[in-house]
Amino acid sequence: MIGTARSLLSGAILSGTPLLYATLAEVVSERAGIVNLGLEGVMLMGAVAGFITMVQTGSATAALVAGALAGALFNLIFAFVVITRRANQLASGLALLFCGVGLSALIGGPYVGSQVAGLPELRIPLLAELPLVGAVLFQHDGLVYASGPLAVLTWWALFHTRWGLHLRAVGENPTAAFAAGKSPPALQFQALFIAGLLGGIAGVHLSLGPAKTWAEWMTAGRGFIAVALVIFSKWHPLRAIGGALVFGGAISLQLQLQALGVPVSPFLLDMLPYLLSLALLAAWGGARRHAAPGSLGRVFQRSD
Amino acid sequence: MSTPSEPIAGAMAFGGSRLSGLTRALGLLALGLAVFAAVLLVFGKNPLRAYADIFSSTLGSWYGFSETLVKVIPLILTAVAVAVPGRIWLINVGGEGQLHVGALAATWGALQWSHWPAWLLLPAMGGLGFLGGGLWGAIPGVLRARGWASETIATLLLNYVAILLVNFVVFGPWRDPEGVNYPQTAEFAAAAILPAFGTSRVHLGIVFALAALAMFAFVVTRTRWGLEMRAIGGNAEAARRAGIPIEAYVVVLMLVGGGLAGLAGMAEVSAIQGRLRPSLSPGYGYTGFLISWMAAGRAGGILVAAFLLAVITAGGDILQMTQALPGSVVHILMAVIFFVVLGRRAGGR
Amino acid sequence: MRPKHLGIGRTLLAMFASLLLVVAVGGPDAAAQPKLKVGIIHLGSINDAGYNQAHAEGVQIMKRNLPGVEVIQVENVPEGADAERVMENMIRQGAGLIIAASFGYLEPALRVAQKYPDVKFVHPGGYKRAPNLTTYWASTPEAFYLMGIAAGMSTKTNKLGYVVALPISFFLANINAFELGARSVNPKAETRVVFTGGFLDPAKEAAAASALLEQGVDVLGVIVDSPITVVQAAEKRNAYSVGYHYLGAQKFAPKGWISGIAFTWGDLYTRFAKQVMDGTWKSENILGGLGDDYLTIAPFGPAVPPEAVKLVNAKKQDLASGKLQVFQGPLRDNKGVERVKAGEVFPLTELRKMDWLVEGVVGQAR
Repeated sequence: MIGTARSLLSGAILSGTPLLYATLAEVVSERAGIVNLGLEGVMLMGAVAGFITMVQTGSATAALVAGALAGALFNLIFAFVVITRRANQLASGLALLFCGVGLSALIGGPYVGSQVAGLPELRIPLLAELPLVGAVLFQHDGLVYASGPLAVLTWWALFHTRWGLHLRAVGENPTAAFAAGKSPPALQFQALFIAGLLGGIAGVHLSLGPAKTWAEWMTAGRGFIAVALVIFSKWHPLRAIGGALVFGGAISLQLQLQALGVPVSPFLLDMLPYLLSLALLAAWGGARRHAAPGSLGRVFQRSD
Repeated sequence: MSTPSEPIAGAMAFGGSRLSGLTRALGLLALGLAVFAAVLLVFGKNPLRAYADIFSSTLGSWYGFSETLVKVIPLILTAVAVAVPGRIWLINVGGEGQLHVGALAATWGALQWSHWPAWLLLPAMGGLGFLGGGLWGAIPGVLRARGWASETIATLLLNYVAILLVNFVVFGPWRDPEGVNYPQTAEFAAAAILPAFGTSRVHLGIVFALAALAMFAFVVTRTRWGLEMRAIGGNAEAARRAGIPIEAYVVVLMLVGGGLAGLAGMAEVSAIQGRLRPSLSPGYGYTGFLISWMAAGRAGGILVAAFLLAVITAGGDILQMTQALPGSVVHILMAVIFFVVLGRRAGGR
Repeated sequence: MRPKHLGIGRTLLAMFASLLLVVAVGGPDAAAQPKLKVGIIHLGSINDAGYNQAHAEGVQIMKRNLPGVEVIQVENVPEGADAERVMENMIRQGAGLIIAASFGYLEPALRVAQKYPDVKFVHPGGYKRAPNLTTYWASTPEAFYLMGIAAGMSTKTNKLGYVVALPISFFLANINAFELGARSVNPKAETRVVFTGGFLDPAKEAAAASALLEQGVDVLGVIVDSPITVVQAAEKRNAYSVGYHYLGAQKFAPKGWISGIAFTWGDLYTRFAKQVMDGTWKSENILGGLGDDYLTIAPFGPAVPPEAVKLVNAKKQDLASGKLQVFQGPLRDNKGVERVKAGEVFPLTELRKMDWLVEGVVGQAR
């Protein structure tokens, strides 16, 4: 029983980590007023770049940097199309997705089946000895540990710095921000660059974390899950931690239940996070005060 | 961003503007093809040969053309599914889910009433397909009409639920007892299969698709409803004050859009697959969304863009066959075309 | 519309039109005609270190063995309508033999086969034939039975685990055979199964492996597209592993590798191609087994006790001679229902009907 609970928590953390990074990426992006449905493509580019770098250099650090940068640069393509060329965000995001799937498959092809050591597991000396939670919480790879603090950092940057204030202003009302002397495009480019870094890191965890392999389209929809997670977390980086745990937990739960021999349909179980998100969305929305950034609402209501 | 909206500008400008719009679109397409030709050259392939192969296999022969039509059918339906609610700025990204639920409903009919004659069963399945997809579109519609949730997000989330629902029935209660425990339903009775024309696979679904396009164009340009929809699209507040029932339109248009995608699902499952499987749709819903946006929600543009996309996706297979390019190349081609087309400045500064 | 824009548009249009003209007028290349064109369609990527790659490698070996044979290869073809179109296009490109390398291609292949009676089709795992369509498969339960013996003798916790893509009857039969083999040497052995719901999702496979390992499983087997993730996960937690498809996975588990099963289609495909060229090809249902060259069992890893290796080899003989049958009754499923009566045998040719898991397996078949 305790073993199962520990297993569930551990699974939730591991499955939730890439989701958290991806959600943070999308939060930053959407706070600046831009929806990126192609986040999945960004994650894939990060995953493949990180994997290839690890194969070539054996260095997890180099792989992490490569993955993050690959994601950022790839997202800049999206930024150019959507900010400079004013293309429709949703359609461009889908185009980015196709591009990412194809490009990553192309580049990654020769590397399938390569063996990597992956992200090293870091046992935190004293804490890992703790009786129940030690093994569960303190025996993971660096990205897992970093995800929480990074969420806090994102929150702080968005809500407690001038830059974050301006960014959110752009997201609320670009015209007003512009009138106040800020440059919406510049801020949005910065936001998308950061989002790309985070998305790339999410991808790195996918290929170099527990799985330690590369496969085409290995994100398997996680980028879209992140878009849902952003809503679930009300565009708030700290809530995203909880959200990622819930969604990661749901993924993990149905596998755990099977391993336990519990007769449950994995599909019905998989539906829960989405239905829950929808229900929560409707529940909050009923208060007539959208938590979404203002101009994001306009993306959703007007065709830009 | 206060740029004028494409569909309105398009709807109000006729004649010369439309022609130069077409020219520009073709020019952009040529640009996209040129970019992809550069990609091909990097691979050491001959772009002319590649394009020739694609062209002859998709449009240059009767067989190729018929197969292209087969792909165009669901694409038109899912694109109109986006364009209909798009008239009043609703964003329906849920075509994929609506298609699946429509297929699910139609499958239920096929399995329940497998002893019915075709002239009764097929319309029933069509109706079920429309209702299933319509329901799946109406739910986000209601959520939006009541101001509770953005339809963009609701439709996106419901996509997953729909796909999981199909997986559930196909792995569980409706699994084919004859098969190898493979996730698929039993084969449909002959009466449940939409007939095709001649020896090709072009099926009656093409009538749905063209009818949907024609009705869409007609309603928008020639009926009072179309006028009211354009009013809402132009200025929702003014329309509301003028007494136009906006909430009703929101729900109805989402229902109709969803219903059309549901019809696409029914057509695929009945005419092409002959049973319900998880691999029912290679992303028709999302591709339809892209088509609708490329075409700025206009019927003529949707027809052209649907053909373009059908050619590109079939082209991807051809490129693998004749040019020995890897499977991922089709995604890159699609992305290049999309980026180029979408990257056009909307209406100028 | 600014005139400048129009000008560019028109120029590009003219360029494009002339391009079309050149392309339409230019004829096909005149190249030396190959003796046989073989078309192969794959469900996934041929770089998957697994199922699809095995077929792709088989075709490459065929090509090497038979100069004059050309290969047309398409990957990522969804089952259903697209498969039909791709196969037909291959035939239009001159293919004389089509390898429809995924289970779900059976019906599309049958439809196209009907249209083109002169073209030969081969389909792995199919259960319906046509005068020009052969079905072939290597019956794996016997191999899994042997793996089960090795696993049953290696396990310390008596808990074996399997990460499987989908509850397809062929896979269920493999798991059943594995458990029966393990049981035959270790009556306390149980096998837990987790289905990931798809053929390829490494992160989910890692999570599934983790879940099983947490439950005390110390032998992990895998039936998904590529075994790498699960084998690695087992090795990391000092568990044993049983591979599938990609035998190169052994290098991922130097300590815990027990053995694995792979399909090596090269010689079979060479035979098919030769027959088509000779005119001796005929439609048949080929069900190979342990003795055939397209089913390969990996070498045993260092963790397997020598008694186990000896026993496995002995049982292998018994299976080959027919003295031992994998699915010998009485057999009950894991819900207590009797599935095979005493004295009867569930035939290997009817595996597609096996939709249950045998007693001792923890998991849901439906």
